[in-house]
Amino acid sequence: MPDNLSTDLAELKAAAARQSGRFQGIADLAWPEAAQIAVNITVDFDAMLLRRLNNEPPMELAKGEFGGRVGIWRLLDLFAAHRVRATIFTPGRICELYPQALKAAAAAGHELADHMWEHRVPKEPELARDHLAKTTAALEAVSGRRPVGSRSHYPPALLASEGYFYNSHGARSHRPYYVLDESGGPILLELPFHFAIDDAMFFSFAWYRSPNAGQRLSDTDRVFDLWAAAFQQQYRQRGYLNICLHPFVSGRALRIAMLDRLLGHMQASPGVWFATCEEVARHCLAAHPARPGAVAAAD
Amino acid sequence: MPWKEGYTISDEKSLDDQEVRWPDGKRCALHIVVDLSVARGPAGIGARELGSPTALFAINDGLDLLLSALARHGLKASFAVPAVMAACYPDRIREIVRDGHEVAAHGFKHEDVSHLSRAEEAARIARTTSVLTEIAGTRPAGWFSLPRQQDNFAGGAVSANTMTLLLEAGYAYMGNGLADDLPHYWVTDFAARRAILTLPYYYHFDDQFFCMFPTEGTGLENPDALVRNWRAELAAQYQRGRFFGMTLHPQHIGWCNRMAAFEDFLTDLAALPELWNCTGAECARYWTTAYPAASRLQLAPSIWQDYPGSLS
Repeated sequence: MPDNLSTDLAELKAAAARQSGRFQGIADLAWPEAAQIAVNITVDFDAMLLRRLNNEPPMELAKGEFGGRVGIWRLLDLFAAHRVRATIFTPGRICELYPQALKAAAAAGHELADHMWEHRVPKEPELARDHLAKTTAALEAVSGRRPVGSRSHYPPALLASEGYFYNSHGARSHRPYYVLDESGGPILLELPFHFAIDDAMFFSFAWYRSPNAGQRLSDTDRVFDLWAAAFQQQYRQRGYLNICLHPFVSGRALRIAMLDRLLGHMQASPGVWFATCEEVARHCLAAHPARPGAVAAAD
Repeated sequence: MPWKEGYTISDEKSLDDQEVRWPDGKRCALHIVVDLSVARGPAGIGARELGSPTALFAINDGLDLLLSALARHGLKASFAVPAVMAACYPDRIREIVRDGHEVAAHGFKHEDVSHLSRAEEAARIARTTSVLTEIAGTRPAGWFSLPRQQDNFAGGAVSANTMTLLLEAGYAYMGNGLADDLPHYWVTDFAARRAILTLPYYYHFDDQFFCMFPTEGTGLENPDALVRNWRAELAAQYQRGRFFGMTLHPQHIGWCNRMAAFEDFLTDLAALPELWNCTGAECARYWTTAYPAASRLQLAPSIWQDYPGSLS
């Protein structure tokens, strides 16, 4: 009898080894000025674009429109009140829909970064490159700075070839890590983003087409408790926190009030480094460069 | 506004908090909507829904409890009434009117209209209007299209023609929109600058999404989260000086512990003396006078470009 199980094991071990070889953690990660934790506030500003892409009905588009008309402005006010700078991941198309808000964000010192052209990565490589180039040009035109970061599914090598040096999409570690190519060379820094710290998971109906019977909407007290605990856990271990906010979700008045409390809670602890993703990425690249030739997972 | 048909319904930026004023120097609007539909899904109200214990509770005990609570607290609400509910229970609708509440339209039988022909939808709007006018004694000023528990989305369903047809049928406002938390204008014709006033709705303040959702049998009941949402939103909106809207269903909020939580919430409203408790019709009348579309709606031509390989 052929040993199917041994074949399975060999194939799966090879697959796991390939994946491990594409990842390199950062040992002894330390923040500037001995900060205890780095916090990236990230804003996924797609307004109604994803809902339009999915051909959702008019009221769903209007729900997204709230993010552009109201939510993004409230977030900018909140960040100003707490003197924190954020990274705004923006589909290129938003530059044509909400230029005023994006200009205000850039003028206030926030980072504008890529979130795909229209919230999708085309399968055709040339079109994907075209979409990335369009977004890069659009964000540069609105902010005066060429974006260096992305939150997307683009192939890492494509992002690197357009001058991007970080992505904020995966969650293979709590902490920033390097994405490597087949030969173990670094392509991009990854600033991990996790669904547990994503407002849309808690405050949406049928998110990612989840079934009606699975819906259970959260209130802001519950999410405050979860996120404050996440912050404390990372704070204790000199870690990293990436908080993902959608203006059409977190821009609602009750959630702005919750975030106001949360930012106050975090700022009450000493040594919290609120930075843009670009600043965290530049620090990691300079102080903790990828180890050359490393192929296996480091941690 | 860089206008984009099929993407946006209103202008680029809402009013700042500082620009908002309410009648008589009040600080924040309070709009209570009571949904009298017993529809479960897109088909709307049928004989099965009308005969269910849930529906009978809604139109009898549940409605009694809500009406008496509102009266005790001196509050007025907008009742979103499907034409079939008014036709089946005309006396209950007249009671609502006698108590000083607004009767607004909520579809013929709260069915999904998103795939109807323009003519069919227009005919249903006309019939709904005439049924409600005859029973309530006045023509409805507002139209609602609230979500049902078995809908795929939580915002309520309209067709591409609904807003235009409502304007043509003489409606002053659409009762549930999601693009703002203030009254705002839903543009139906960009070239002609025609728009219908839309009042804010958000499903996180709608009891049906917290009460054994979706319908009996799942046990996913978290009305404690609903009440915390109401309290948090009202506090935030009162501070900002904007608008707080809540949506109730007698069959959901009327039941035991939920009714008690609702009454506690109403009792605590007394601590906010500068609330303007308005019906939808009153709010629409004030807003279209104080913030008319002609001077307030900021529409600029589109800068949107079409590219090969992109959505148009």
